Amino acid sequence: MSRPNQPFTTGSTELAALLVRVADDDAAAFQAFYDRTSAKLFGVILRILIERQESEDVLQEVYLIVWRKAATFDASKASPITWAATIARNRAIDRLRARPPRAHVPMEAAVDLADGGPAQDAGLIHDQDARRIAAALATLEPRHAAAIRACYFDGVTYDELAAREQVPVGTLKSWVRRGLIRLRDLLEGSQA
Amino acid sequence: MSQQPQPSGLDGLTELQALAMDHALGGGSRAERKAAELRLLSDPQFRAAVERWQTLLAPLDDVTPGVAPPPSVWAAIAAEVEPQPRRAAALPAVAGGWWNNLGLWRGLAFAGPVLTAVAITVLVQGTWFPGASAAVSGGPALVATLADADGKPLIAAAFDPASGEVRFAPVAASDQATGGTVPELWVIEGKNPPRSLGVIDIAVGRSQTIPRDRLAGLKPGAILAISIEPTGGSPTGAPTGPVIATGKLSAA
Repeated sequence: MSRPNQPFTTGSTELAALLVRVADDDAAAFQAFYDRTSAKLFGVILRILIERQESEDVLQEVYLIVWRKAATFDASKASPITWAATIARNRAIDRLRARPPRAHVPMEAAVDLADGGPAQDAGLIHDQDARRIAAALATLEPRHAAAIRACYFDGVTYDELAAREQVPVGTLKSWVRRGLIRLRDLLEGSQA
Repeated sequence: MSQQPQPSGLDGLTELQALAMDHALGGGSRAERKAAELRLLSDPQFRAAVERWQTLLAPLDDVTPGVAPPPSVWAAIAAEVEPQPRRAAALPAVAGGWWNNLGLWRGLAFAGPVLTAVAITVLVQGTWFPGASAAVSGGPALVATLADADGKPLIAAAFDPASGEVRFAPVAASDQATGGTVPELWVIEGKNPPRSLGVIDIAVGRSQTIPRDRLAGLKPGAILAISIEPTGGSPTGAPTGPVIATGKLSAA
């Protein structure tokens, strides 16, 4: 069975070729890779951290990781942009977790689970895989979908979400995990 | 009384599947994420499961608007990356051996991760125990820079096959080793579970002799990891405490 959602587009091929050169310490290739990917990665980081200076610090850190780890990029496992965006998301979430509790984004600034339905994003989606996952998310129980979105986009913890929703953490995890299984079934089931 | 889901929320999933989802989605606590990061290094099945979820979820990023970062970010990255005369760098002449030069290590502490890794590699290439060639000692010297979960280098390690010693130099302070606990060194080779190389002392410039049988077959590509364990070392034979640093061994 083919793996789902592998956008091996021309852009991916070019980015992968750049990464091969980056692994060989090619600074010009590294700058080209940065130019093509940094806005996306900065968007991902900023959405999680909100605070701009901290987001810039994390972006810098992420590209130093890309520079150092380019040789470990495996094109059979992920597209270059997925690989880099995953590093960015992980670093941003880890930075968020490392903040003292006081420094968390105020509740009113956080996404409320009642909001943030998929419709608000529909106009921004160009990629076919992105449309498919948005459509699949829309079929989930709204609170389950909202919990998944809050974790993924905003870096919110299960514990925080459970407190907000006034449910036990075990219940919250069940929502998320059941939602993810359903998402996977929908996405992989719709693969020919 | 209504039946709540189990506290673990496993819902019939295996622990591996559930934790892989959690890690790919990112909802875990700091401690849970660190534990998952160690497992990623040692458990290929877990890694494959996490990567599968990451790939499945990745198209979600398409709805996050891109934001052009200010030029200062690239300038800072370029400053770390470009001026390093990699590989062909001149070797600093250090009386008494580069390893014992505390100033060198302190200098590294303020350098970025790239500089640190590069500098160590270059130094070891040029001056690894002068007089004892790698060919004579039966294998190349190996070096690793062990970084924390944020990618910040904490400890540099070098292994000399001639003497069977592993040497450590802290690159930055870690606040995680406190009273009643000790750092323990692990090696993760391929698909095998972490193997203990023993409790270590990571004070500046200390060398640590590790029994030869434990080091047999240590090769480039193996992962070194340091966890914080109760005094005397892990009671279970596997890492039990937080992992403060990991890094890959490469030939010097």
